Amino acid sequence: MGIVDSQAGRRSIKKGKRRTKRIGFHLDMTPMVDVAFLLLTFFMLTTTFSKSNTMEINLPPEMTEVKVAETNVMTLRIAGDGMAYYSLGNDAPRRIPLYDPQDTRQLALSRPLRQLLKQQVKANEKMVIVVKISEKARYKQLVDIIDELNLMKIDRFSLDDYTEQDALEIKRAV
Amino acid sequence: MSRIKAKRVGFRIDMTPMVDVAFLLLTFFMLTTKFRPPEVVKIDLPSSHSDMKLPESDVLTVTVSGANTFFMGVSSQQTREKIFNSVVKPKLIAARFSSAAVQDSLKQFKLADSFPVQRDELDKFVVMARFADQKLRPVVRADADAGFDAVNHVIKVYKKANLLTFNLVTVMEKEVR
Repeated sequence: MGIVDSQAGRRSIKKGKRRTKRIGFHLDMTPMVDVAFLLLTFFMLTTTFSKSNTMEINLPPEMTEVKVAETNVMTLRIAGDGMAYYSLGNDAPRRIPLYDPQDTRQLALSRPLRQLLKQQVKANEKMVIVVKISEKARYKQLVDIIDELNLMKIDRFSLDDYTEQDALEIKRAV
Repeated sequence: MSRIKAKRVGFRIDMTPMVDVAFLLLTFFMLTTKFRPPEVVKIDLPSSHSDMKLPESDVLTVTVSGANTFFMGVSSQQTREKIFNSVVKPKLIAARFSSAAVQDSLKQFKLADSFPVQRDELDKFVVMARFADQKLRPVVRADADAGFDAVNHVIKVYKKANLLTFNLVTVMEKEVR
């Protein structure tokens, strides 16, 4: 590998001890190249070009208040029991599974919930989704919901505090 | 006309170009590789479809581990020093540390990527970081299994410090829909 080659290669095998001028000498570069390839494979396999991805969240300033008609509000409550409770306006909440039961890795929200979100937003352009997540819920559920809304290009949603009132509300879910 | 194919025993290929390319790649990978510093806690990030990239400089990261403990880190050393001087130093002096010990812990603090923070002290640190550097971009880096109350606490702290736009760190989800 990588040999400096020339016709004058064999000239150095001469009888006398006189040093010959070293024109076109051979150098075995195999070990060096071996090490080079070893390092190359090491760096290629350990390098990950991945920079973390992020998701941007904008919070509304504390002071501003946006008034929305009650009929245009859908509340989505996540109680931390693997269920989502949605209610339109002041209706009683309805229970819907947050993840599909056969989806063990829980990568996406459940199909009925996704369909529901899509339908509601399609039916009413002005629909605002208020997401209330209980303290008992996991962070992953927040990320999954925001991700799903982003994928559906729904930007009219907001996060709100989960209060005692919401816990009571869920009790009358059907 | 008889072209008898000579058996190719011990032939040579000039491998110089290949070796050149190999070395080129080797130097490229060696120079671009940045070894990740060892993490204080293992964070299992949640996955999403968002493809926004994390900013490189002026980042204020609050990490929430799976056990709901908080860690904070800022990327620039100047900001770290300011935070140390305004929050940590008075505490050390109150605890009667010698000035040499304070200098020593400042040195350590400047080199640390993140440091553990108590839940009720987080707001103080975040506000100080905001004072030290106005351009800070706040980031929440939480474990997928962290409780929502811990993350909500961070969000509230950001809100209180008037940091209304922030990012959640996730990993890319490959599955398409």
